[in-house]
Amino acid sequence: MNHKILISGTLLASILLGSCAKLEEKPYGLINTVTFYKTAQDAESAIIYAYSDLPEVGYYSRGYYIVTELPTEDLTQKGDAGVGNFELDELRTTSTNSDLDNIWTYMYRGITRANAVIVNVPQISMPEANRNQITGEGYFLRALHYFNLVRMFGEVPIRQDVIADATQIPVAKSSIKDVYDLIISDLKNAENLITVPRISEGRANKVAAQALLAKVYLHLASSKVSGSPGYEFVSNADEMYAQAKAYASKVIDGQSTFTFTQSLPDIWNTEIYKKAATSEHIFDAAVDRNGDREGSFSKLPNMFLPADRPMTILYDQANPGSNKIDIGQGWAHFRTESAIYNAYASTDKRKTQLIVSEYTNGTSKYVLDITSSARPFTRKFIDPLRIGDASSCNSPILRYSDILLVFAEAEGPTPAGYAAIQKVRDRAGLGALNPSLSVQAFRDAVVEERSFELAFEGNRLFDLRRTKTMEKVLHDKYGKTITSGAYFFPIPQREIDTNPLMKP
Amino acid sequence: MGRIIYTLAMCISLVCCSYLSLQAQDRRITGVVTDQQGVTLPGVSVTVKGTQTKTSTDGKGVFNISVSGEKPTLVFSYVGMQTRELEVGSKPSIQVSMQTTSKDLNEVVVVGYGTVKKGDLTGSVASIKGSELNRTPAASVDQLLQGKIAGVQVTTSGGQPGSGATIRIRGASSLNGSKDPLVVVDGYPWGDAGNLKQINPEDIESVEVLKDASSAAIYGSRGANGVIVITTRKGRVGQNRISVSTLDGVSYQSVKPDVWRDPVEEATYANEAAKTGGAIPTDIPYIGISRPVGTGYVYYPSIAELRGLDPNKPQWPTNTNWVDLVYRNPLTQSYTVTADGGNDKTKYAISGNYYNEQGMVIKNYYDKYTSRLNLDQKLSESVTVGTNAILAVTKNNGSGLGVGRSVIFPVYDENGNYFRTSSTDYGNPIALSNQLLNTTKTLDMLGNIYIGAKFTSWLSFRSNLNYKFGNSVQDQYDPIASTQRAMDNKGSYGSINNGNYNDLLSETYLTANKNFGKNHSLNAVAGFSYQATNNRFSSLTGQNFVNDVLTNENLATAGTMLIGNSLQRFDLMSYYGRVNYAYKNRYLLTLTGRADGSTKFGANNKWAYFPSGAIAWKVNEEEFMKNVSFISELKVRANYGISGNQGISPYQTLDRFGSNKYFTGAGFQTGFGPGLAGANDEQGRTIVEGLGNNSLQWETTEQFGVGLDLGLIDQRFTLTADYYNKNTSDLLRLKTISPSAGYDRQWINDGEINNKGFELGLNANIISNAKLSWNVGGIFTMNRNKVVSMGESNQVLIGTIYESVRQQISTYTVGQPMFAFYGYKSAGIIQTLEEGVAAGLTGADAQPGEIKYMDISGPDGKPDGVIDSYDRTIIGNPNPDFIYSFNTNLKFKGFDLSAQLYGVEGNDVWDFQKMTPSRQLLRWTPDNPSQEIPRANGSRGYRASDFFITDGSFLRIQNVTLGYNFKTGIIKGVKSLRLYLSGNNLYTFTKFNPGYDPELGEMGINGGAYPRPRNISIGLNLGL
Repeated sequence: MNHKILISGTLLASILLGSCAKLEEKPYGLINTVTFYKTAQDAESAIIYAYSDLPEVGYYSRGYYIVTELPTEDLTQKGDAGVGNFELDELRTTSTNSDLDNIWTYMYRGITRANAVIVNVPQISMPEANRNQITGEGYFLRALHYFNLVRMFGEVPIRQDVIADATQIPVAKSSIKDVYDLIISDLKNAENLITVPRISEGRANKVAAQALLAKVYLHLASSKVSGSPGYEFVSNADEMYAQAKAYASKVIDGQSTFTFTQSLPDIWNTEIYKKAATSEHIFDAAVDRNGDREGSFSKLPNMFLPADRPMTILYDQANPGSNKIDIGQGWAHFRTESAIYNAYASTDKRKTQLIVSEYTNGTSKYVLDITSSARPFTRKFIDPLRIGDASSCNSPILRYSDILLVFAEAEGPTPAGYAAIQKVRDRAGLGALNPSLSVQAFRDAVVEERSFELAFEGNRLFDLRRTKTMEKVLHDKYGKTITSGAYFFPIPQREIDTNPLMKP
Repeated sequence: MGRIIYTLAMCISLVCCSYLSLQAQDRRITGVVTDQQGVTLPGVSVTVKGTQTKTSTDGKGVFNISVSGEKPTLVFSYVGMQTRELEVGSKPSIQVSMQTTSKDLNEVVVVGYGTVKKGDLTGSVASIKGSELNRTPAASVDQLLQGKIAGVQVTTSGGQPGSGATIRIRGASSLNGSKDPLVVVDGYPWGDAGNLKQINPEDIESVEVLKDASSAAIYGSRGANGVIVITTRKGRVGQNRISVSTLDGVSYQSVKPDVWRDPVEEATYANEAAKTGGAIPTDIPYIGISRPVGTGYVYYPSIAELRGLDPNKPQWPTNTNWVDLVYRNPLTQSYTVTADGGNDKTKYAISGNYYNEQGMVIKNYYDKYTSRLNLDQKLSESVTVGTNAILAVTKNNGSGLGVGRSVIFPVYDENGNYFRTSSTDYGNPIALSNQLLNTTKTLDMLGNIYIGAKFTSWLSFRSNLNYKFGNSVQDQYDPIASTQRAMDNKGSYGSINNGNYNDLLSETYLTANKNFGKNHSLNAVAGFSYQATNNRFSSLTGQNFVNDVLTNENLATAGTMLIGNSLQRFDLMSYYGRVNYAYKNRYLLTLTGRADGSTKFGANNKWAYFPSGAIAWKVNEEEFMKNVSFISELKVRANYGISGNQGISPYQTLDRFGSNKYFTGAGFQTGFGPGLAGANDEQGRTIVEGLGNNSLQWETTEQFGVGLDLGLIDQRFTLTADYYNKNTSDLLRLKTISPSAGYDRQWINDGEINNKGFELGLNANIISNAKLSWNVGGIFTMNRNKVVSMGESNQVLIGTIYESVRQQISTYTVGQPMFAFYGYKSAGIIQTLEEGVAAGLTGADAQPGEIKYMDISGPDGKPDGVIDSYDRTIIGNPNPDFIYSFNTNLKFKGFDLSAQLYGVEGNDVWDFQKMTPSRQLLRWTPDNPSQEIPRANGSRGYRASDFFITDGSFLRIQNVTLGYNFKTGIIKGVKSLRLYLSGNNLYTFTKFNPGYDPELGEMGINGGAYPRPRNISIGLNLGL
């Protein structure tokens, strides 16, 4: 009976179909440790991934400015911003602050990615110089994240491994000293391993490692001298100042790739600072308007720009004959505080050229009022060529004039110190500083100069903290209340809840 | 194990395939078989008792059979009729009349891999016939199950055309894995229940729900959420029918939307809210000034102008009725043609359906075409082959639109363009409905072939090969002027999203049915299956097009392009078996087991085993009950078993790298590394996963249940009661892990959920005679859900972060039911500033007219005089205390009238729509010291609190149908004709927010769902 054959065949086939299968999972579209870190291209890709954390929304393309600028006299926020913004602006942060949770997360994501480079890339068989450079960049990035972390939160957990298993999650906080030891060691590794002065836009280099080291030493030195909480461990402030000066000197005198740009608007012209052979931008979180998502392009300009209508301004606002540029409109999320706005000397070019106080739309001219909801705003972050909300505005992390002022502060009131700060003041159209300042008065003057020069770039909070002047400046001078988080923000609750060794 | 089955199967197939020899023949008897009414019955099986001689009646109910001996006995059996034994004398021809079975005990119930007589069930299986489903427009059968089966909760979250339903059997038993029951269609496990669009509800013969572990365990790792078994209509021997059914309806708004009707009231409220909120004078909206928009201006009238009291201005002319513009009285239609029948060799069923449902919202509709072919062919007495093919095509167009827009502004501006209050105003619903393209088309095809063979009188074999293919394509386009989806303001937005679903299942099983002696009967099933699933997705998105001419037709011309693709594949290999044993037809025992191996799980846990058992005692079969004739059924049941849940995505056990691009001057470079970015959360932050877990395994549900079936007076009154207690452990959970580890979440197994409950089904056939019959039924379902443990944490917040309260409001909290609401307690409205300060509030929050939150705790667990996050607690439970329904059915002569009531009692709803305009009118003012409604305040930061919590209980007149069956033969060639009027969602008794329907999703959050229509349909069933 041929049905018998049919049935037997069916049975046989169905049983065979099953017994061939081994139930092995065949992933699709996924790369993981099994398939990665094999080639020079993998190494390059690994470091690119580590960099790509920087311009994320939660980090340098928005979150960093929320966390570092709102608490200061530079910026406040629009009325319907989230509660996290208000807590930061009013210095009453709690452990459930979502902005702090956010930036914490992005900094540690960056550390994870940097660790993956530091741990895996040295094992890859590839040209040594290339391998060293990539590994060095990994060290640089890890140091940058920890430097941000320690300045924001103080004692934080140190992670130097790539997690492969959930058992590796619990890690206790380390002391501030241990965090700085790691930062300095990482940056020295970076300085040694990277030989090229400039790899490309958006990638760290030898100069960046030196510049960051200078800032790290200056932070330690000034924190110790001012008695800023948590920095009692620093044994010798003078030694730290000397190191800061030494590394700042390397940046100022030891290379020619990153230099002083004379024209203030040019410093912030994406088509210049991204493309010119030399630039003030030692290291930026890089973006491009042709990117496919926020993080590969930046919406930071929208945070600053008023929302009323598209705006046209002069490229150089101090020169009525200069080109008109269309800069669009934004969300008016950040509002410039009158404190900083009024603190500038009226002739300070950093106010007249770098803050937009009036604009045109069609034939109408509009004047922005510092007390209204649409206020004068910084033009450091504008992109006339933007596509919709997508801009090419890099977020500056290390800038030449920052390091120039680091040098001046570390050096003190010597001719070299005066020369360094005066270079910045000259560009701003300001006169000479009192030539007979004491060491402390000179350093105070440099810090004040930094507040004008580096306004809205995320330095002010850390300058106030390391000079222990949060109360003096924000409360006594500008009348802000300070309830909590003056020197260190509270560690996010999510970390405390999920990391058993963080529980108090 | 495979080898054993293989060997066994080969032996069986080669050795046992013997054919039956016919016995000696003496004489022939012919006859006609009819039902009680004298209608001839084709296809009745006629057997000579004690022999293998059998035949069946032909199309006219006539049989012809050979008998031997002096007093041969013929056995007549037919589905739905009592089997009749008749001793035939010497007459050559006889008339046989068959009785319908006493209500339902002999009805066959479909369970996994076989059927069981209803009276012999040991587990908890509910069954309804397709004819018992409400005849109302429904895109899928899922929503029609609401209120039909005890222990099954069906919720629909609105009335969007083509939307499905959420089905929970005996409560939700997973935190993050799937909570949906498994749907099995004609023996083929299709996947999660919710939107079974491929099956026309008219084609459904029966729906069985396997509720307890004993009956669901045969589906092993997919059985923990219960199983819904759908059986489609098949052809019957000798019953060649053509039937046509139509259903045409019109729908109405079932609740009146609560929107502003008077521009003055709206503007007054808006101004007051702005003023209270601290707006500067020029930011008060309605003060008669122009505000810049783009390059032009929009004029905002003053209140005096709106009233017509401004001497310099005419009365403001606009009072746009958005409700009338956006909503309509939509039409629904459904047409089905079916032909089925067969002879003793071939059975067939062919059907086609067209379904069209217009949405309440203009331009929103759902279209569906389904067709089905079912064919069975006997190759020989013992071998049958067959096929089942299904084709379903759907199209969904448009989506919901809001009607809450200001009535002060018009639809069009003076130039005839859509009016906008700002260049980023994308809220004009008429503009959205006319400008946006949003269409989804799907195609589903299902093919099944099977071969079945009877090896002996007691052993049979069946092998199926099933293939299911699904395809969906979504087209979207937002033109430049209406770019609500266009992220980053990059102008226009176009996209195509493709989904491709493939599923192959091979299944082979043996069934043995044998009686041993008089007292022992055995039914056993053993089988093997292999299922391979392969789902593929891609999406193409373009932004910033030159113009709107091509819409999304040439995405390569976009300024920015985004692409994405992925594939999920997973295999499931299974061995299963079941033994049903009955002793003296009184003591019943069922043992079931399944072994499942899945690629989804970690190397350490590939295989899982799911055993179960059930016992039942048919008390009424005992000798001592024989005299208690009014009890037709009394059965007690007990069951225990383990089933599983594997409802997670594949690849979760592996570590997975993420990828990102970074700009390095010359262009973007692509990076790879640890941390796989998933979806963004509400704050725009990507959630990073990708940390593997080799030990990931199945969720395990352990369930114990007892039940009672009672039937009185020949099953005219029946009662089924069940109690169950089920514990689900090793919950698949996305654990929040320390962000400093570089990841946000990881799939792990931990935690435990308990569901216990009670189900009751009652039916009374109060009057039953040829002219008049009246049936009343009721269903009661009570489930208590509790999160028992969740590993290391006592509470996780789940769901989205709601912008208005800036937190997640639902939780899984140990000791509480799933989805319990979390937030502040409130105590009315603050009447004086002192009261507000005393309550622990500060600043604007302490002002009179604000919500008074309660200080119930602090950092030390005691009230500390400050309202802060320590004062949050569990403030509500969206799970109902019980759900219930009543069904009644009255037949008088040709008329029939049926009605269904459906009720949900004791559930809390988080009503984000609480501050409706009609309530805003009742707001607190110094002159109106309201205790319920806070003052108008445009900058109030609402806290998540019980201010929003409302009782969501309701009782709905779900359906009333009035029909008339015309007499047979009234039209020539027409065998039957029924005309009926069906009303659906007729009225809802509730204390809920009158502007909204109280039935919401299982999380009980009212965010303003798509309105649920009230539908009136007229239907026609024609039999030819």
